Amino acid sequence: MRLGLTPAFLVKIVSSVVLIPARSVHKSELVKMKLLTHNMLTSKSMKGVTVGYPLGINVVDIKVTEVDFNPEFISRIIPKLDWSVLWKAADTIGQLDDLPKELSQEYENDNDFLKKVHHVLLEVDIVNGELVCPETGRKFPINNGIPNMLLNEDEV
Amino acid sequence: MHLQTAEYDLSSHADVYEPSEDSFLFLDALEEEFGNLVDLKPLNIVEIGSGSGVIITSLAKALKNANFFAVDINMSACKATQMTGELNATAIQPLCMDLLGQFKENMFDVIVFNPPYVVTDSEELCGNGINRAWAGGKDGREIIDKLLPKIPNILSCKGIFYLLLLKENKPKEVIDFMFTLGFAHKIIKERKLLGEYLYIVKFNK
Ligand SMILES: C[S@@+](CC[C@H](N)C(=O)[O-])C[C@H]1O[C@@H](n2cnc3c(N)ncnc32)[C@H](O)[C@@H]1O
Repeated sequence: MRLGLTPAFLVKIVSSVVLIPARSVHKSELVKMKLLTHNMLTSKSMKGVTVGYPLGINVVDIKVTEVDFNPEFISRIIPKLDWSVLWKAADTIGQLDDLPKELSQEYENDNDFLKKVHHVLLEVDIVNGELVCPETGRKFPINNGIPNMLLNEDEV
Repeated sequence: MHLQTAEYDLSSHADVYEPSEDSFLFLDALEEEFGNLVDLKPLNIVEIGSGSGVIITSLAKALKNANFFAVDINMSACKATQMTGELNATAIQPLCMDLLGQFKENMFDVIVFNPPYVVTDSEELCGNGINRAWAGGKDGREIIDKLLPKIPNILSCKGIFYLLLLKENKPKEVIDFMFTLGFAHKIIKERKLLGEYLYIVKFNK
């Protein structure tokens, strides 16, 4: 570990990974908070909280970006999701469109459906807002797409 | 397939760990593991303590069709990771979090952790600044030891956990403990770098 003392050239010599500068293929933007991420978060680790799921969402602003659609990939994500939580989150932030409330059985071949899931999971971003513990009301701020989930010592 | 090191620029993030020999050793190890990672078809990949974001972004550039997450206890590091993702046109979800404390169980197929491993006084484990990049407390193991018992619940059943350890961290103890949790290990890399003897260890079931 280098605590700010090692000359940079040494680091390159000892590394066998070739340092090739990356070319940005297309202009991208800072990644914000996805509903996929919301679907995976809980406040269960807080003192006194038993389930802590799903977290509430208060939105200040959202952003919609186009992401390449890969139906096979979306089909692989779906079994890992809590569908009703995703549905409710999409509804909360006004991006429900006509996403069905119930997950259909044969979604793998339903391209239209997968496209809608793709949109709410990966194309809709929360930029600023907060996540809320359903049991304690504790708020976790989201600033510029980064949720701050840190707890104080007396909360764990 | 070659694992290209992601481009990064920490000029506006002075309080973030600058990628060093340990970071690059980790990248070497992941390059060696690349075939296994592709075969695993991981869905969710997370780096704990992403710092600049160089490791998770390099992975994201090379592996397609996975979701990439990065947590750090230092908000500046989260911002740096977000920027590094952008610089390399990859999508990394940054979160400011203590280890993986607020994720639901069994969400990740791959966990990568270059931890704060330097042996220090326990008192140095305070605040959320740059000191958290290296301060490891007793045996340099305090943060590592907080994470290990949680790995079985965090990792999916086919999942892989990659961890960097320093000789002073007593790797054998870590390996033995993980064994009691049902994990096999493999040392992917070991190297003496600038006076530190480092290991990259892979754990899976
Ligand atoms: C040795 S640095 C590694 C940075 C980067 N991954 C690299 O390899 O260059 C360790 C990182 O872990 C972060 N960290 C320390 N304790 C943590 C914790 N409890 N939870 C999350 N991140 C933590 C530090 O802020 C720092 O960014």
